[in-house]
Amino acid sequence: MTNLPLLRLFKLALRQLLREARAGEIRVLFFALLVAVAASTAIGYFSARLNSGMQLRASEFLAADLRLSASTQASPEQIEAGLALGLNHASSVEFSSVIATDTGIQLASVKAVNEAYPLRGRLKSAAQPYAQEQVSAGPKLGEAWAEARLFAALNLKAGDSIDVGNKTLRLSRVLTYEPDRGGDFYSLTPRVLINLADLDATGVVQPGSRVKYFELWSGESDALAQYKTALQPTLAANQRIQGARDSNRQIGGALGRAERYLNLSSLAAVLLSGVAVALSATRFAARRFDASALLRCFGLSRRQALTLYSIQLGLLGLSACLCGALVGWLAQYGLFFLLDGLLPGEIPAAGVWPALAGIATGLVALAGFALPPLAALGRVPPLRVLRRDMLPVPASSWLVYGAALLALGLIMWRLSLDLPLTLALLGGGLLTACLLGGLLLLALRSLRRMMAQASLPWRLGLGQLLRHPLAAAGQSLAFGLIILAMALIALLRIELLSTWQDQLPADAPNQFALNIVPAEKEAFAQQLQAISPHAAPLYPVVPGRLTAINGQAVRQLVSKDSRGERATQRDLSLTWAADLPGDNQLVAGSWWSQEKREIPGVSVEEKLAENLELKIGDTLTFNVGGLNREARVTSLRSVDWNNFQPNFYMIFEPGTLQDMPVTYLTSFYLPAGNDKQLVELSRAFPAVTLLGVDALLSQLRSILAQVTLAIEFVLAFVLAAGFAVLFAGLQTTLDERIRQGALLRALGAERKIVINARRAEFAMLGATSGVLAALGCELISYLLYRYAFNLEWSPHPWLLILPVIGALAVGAAGIWGTRKALNSSPLTVLREG
Amino acid sequence: MSSHILSARNLSKVVPSAEGQLTILDDLSLQLAAGDSLAIVGSSGSGKSTLLGLLAGLDLPSSGSIDLAGHDLASLDEDQRARVRAEHVGFVFQSFQLLDSLNALENVMLPLELEGRADARQQAAELLDRVGLGQRLSHYPRQLSGGEQQRVAIARAFAAQPDVLFADEPTGNLDSHTGAHISDLLFELNKERGATLVLVTHDEHLAQRCNRLIRLEGGQLVGQQAC
Repeated sequence: MTNLPLLRLFKLALRQLLREARAGEIRVLFFALLVAVAASTAIGYFSARLNSGMQLRASEFLAADLRLSASTQASPEQIEAGLALGLNHASSVEFSSVIATDTGIQLASVKAVNEAYPLRGRLKSAAQPYAQEQVSAGPKLGEAWAEARLFAALNLKAGDSIDVGNKTLRLSRVLTYEPDRGGDFYSLTPRVLINLADLDATGVVQPGSRVKYFELWSGESDALAQYKTALQPTLAANQRIQGARDSNRQIGGALGRAERYLNLSSLAAVLLSGVAVALSATRFAARRFDASALLRCFGLSRRQALTLYSIQLGLLGLSACLCGALVGWLAQYGLFFLLDGLLPGEIPAAGVWPALAGIATGLVALAGFALPPLAALGRVPPLRVLRRDMLPVPASSWLVYGAALLALGLIMWRLSLDLPLTLALLGGGLLTACLLGGLLLLALRSLRRMMAQASLPWRLGLGQLLRHPLAAAGQSLAFGLIILAMALIALLRIELLSTWQDQLPADAPNQFALNIVPAEKEAFAQQLQAISPHAAPLYPVVPGRLTAINGQAVRQLVSKDSRGERATQRDLSLTWAADLPGDNQLVAGSWWSQEKREIPGVSVEEKLAENLELKIGDTLTFNVGGLNREARVTSLRSVDWNNFQPNFYMIFEPGTLQDMPVTYLTSFYLPAGNDKQLVELSRAFPAVTLLGVDALLSQLRSILAQVTLAIEFVLAFVLAAGFAVLFAGLQTTLDERIRQGALLRALGAERKIVINARRAEFAMLGATSGVLAALGCELISYLLYRYAFNLEWSPHPWLLILPVIGALAVGAAGIWGTRKALNSSPLTVLREG
Repeated sequence: MSSHILSARNLSKVVPSAEGQLTILDDLSLQLAAGDSLAIVGSSGSGKSTLLGLLAGLDLPSSGSIDLAGHDLASLDEDQRARVRAEHVGFVFQSFQLLDSLNALENVMLPLELEGRADARQQAAELLDRVGLGQRLSHYPRQLSGGEQQRVAIARAFAAQPDVLFADEPTGNLDSHTGAHISDLLFELNKERGATLVLVTHDEHLAQRCNRLIRLEGGQLVGQQAC
């Protein structure tokens, strides 16, 4: 064509596409893309919405989405900046004070809150100790709420008066739950909650008093992020910002893993989409070789032919992606509707982003996986109209695989935002594909020898595979990738759920006992044994502060806001132990032996050691009870902070701290309904601080339940999408097989022989795909466990079932797909081509 | 500018094969005036289709030159040859080469649409009516018999009003009765539209209907006659 304007080419492409759509020609590609984008979008929506639901639950641990804490009041500018962004604001102030009554005095941890507190979660209280709790607003002006153990310690009842500093307040209710209580409970004394407006009148807070101020914020995540950024440069040395994720190690870990899992599931959906697109685009191109040659005969240039098909594929991709996003959006709505009763709390809507991301993912996959076969259409020689054996010059392998890898890498990076992980997975995947592809080719070739002995259906079926070993290896690899994606998501689900179950067994300790004095240690342990079957040992605790490392003051060594800084700004709970605690593991150095050392040994938790840059052999100086004590680092330990057991940053060699004033600490599990025994324990040992973490545990369990549910449904989505893509993908390889089946029948083969030949062929294809999937799954799971999830890896023998699943699934799909060749007359099939 | 619509000089086509270089066409020359018709006959493998492909600009010779409607095909690149085909050439193939996803009308419309003709539909419908398929416009190729498919292909070939029509075994896939009808149609339309016809065939009867005939054997011209 001398001059074929782009608009005319576009119109022509559109017209052709509509005609082909009407003729059912593009159904498979459309369907494959639609399924992939729908799965990707649905998972995207599901994760985004559940994630914000979980964040909301996690926010309860802060009673806010964002918390600014400091030992001085926040500046008016800092508050103004938050209010200007439309964020909700509440304030609280915490300090220790002696509570005085007619019957005695008790040190308490007082918290003054304003009416807006809490911004996330609810305050719960009861009319009397251990009575039914209710949700209500905080204490009114002139009122105070206190925990039951304060009532017990001072023999109080509701309605009594207490003095907080200069102010007398009426004790109106028993505080049973405050959302942000989790925190640093080792130092907690009974909580008293008062109204912030009463704070000045107490006269307790004076310049120089040890007070903690909290500014709580909640609102839209964009505004929060904006506020956080604006706040950063204005932060004073003593100010710290916390988000929901930072508030609790267990929650942070669970959310992080769940998020990675959901992202990986999206990635699995993308991989499925890639395989589907690659299979169907190859067919799309192959079926247009003749048409392309013809158009070239009619005078279309190479570029014009390529543009025409690019426009067609682009339009097809865009419409399939739009429909897929719509289906995905509807699917997640349906899912949340079905799960309405099961999901705790509100689930915020997720906006338009997951849909856009789903569409973009589909289009990138289309570009990466479909462009190489499409490019072949531009290279079809026009001479093909006379000689059908003329095929386009194959594209460079670099282009074909490079484009696919680039697309996959881009999407993976977007989902994980983790370049090393992306490269590890891509590299691992590529290596697996090359190795397994080579093995497969060898295996297929060696099958040829076995063929001579086989029965007719096997010879016919396997002959089909052996005739084009490269194509068979390609198909096997494609189906292998589909099965791999499904198996990997199933495998990770099992592993994550069991990790969480281990982390929070039903009898995880739900009570902590602190400040047990040596004189009461034995008696307390005895009484504890009677009420709790699973008590942790009693650990000695001596408060002490790390002051110097190798003689250099520690304040000069640590960076601001690091864990090291926080650990050196407060007293640490120091302990000693002859044996390594159960959940700890030595990562460097050795545990102490009997030999006496000049400087006693200390074992340090590995993360803290990393932050403080400690090495084995370093000398640490601690200020303990006003005296300096030196210790030499002899080992580093990993600690499971999630186990609800007493854990320690520093464990000393026995005989080092015994001369210092010591108290004991333990945790135990108290079955529900044994509150009375707890009261008795509290009355028998009034000096001991008992702290319940039931609320924390149940919050954690509720979040994990939500994550579990998310994972179950995402798995179901991936499996459904996987099977759909498998069926659609198989359709793209059937043209030749349908024809061959019809030919066999025309030559007089019984239907049974044709069916058996198909069975043999597809079962073999499925089984080899299953073997590839099992091997690939093991390799990739190893990489993921190591680099993404920090889980211990061990082989998974159950993956051996994959070849069977592959044989059954591909076999069934193949028989179903080729039923036309068996059920219609051979003449019809052969005539239709 | 030559007075001939199509001329070839010293054409050779050599391709590499497992046994070394294989000569498919060897030093072949011919000339064809506008409105002429030429039959190329010969046994299978004699180089007939290769010659047709070269004359139509679908492939390039190893040596020699081809002049088609004033264009020296050997000096043009593929896209330039495509332009020459668009302006001057039409095709009819043994295997019809209809697009399965388009119905009869749409198949004939295709070259007209490529030209951007606003009356593509009307023109195509008229042509199909002319070849006796006025009632089968919306039928897909798989719903048509071989003869009917070839009639659609002929209508499509004449749609773009080519100067030269190349036909490769146009009756090769048809029974003798249908084949006779198709060749009648081909010659009638060729006469009506004043095109030059180059056809490759095994069918001596069909070949005899052309003004000229050349016979190939092993890639060489072994005989030619005026009919």
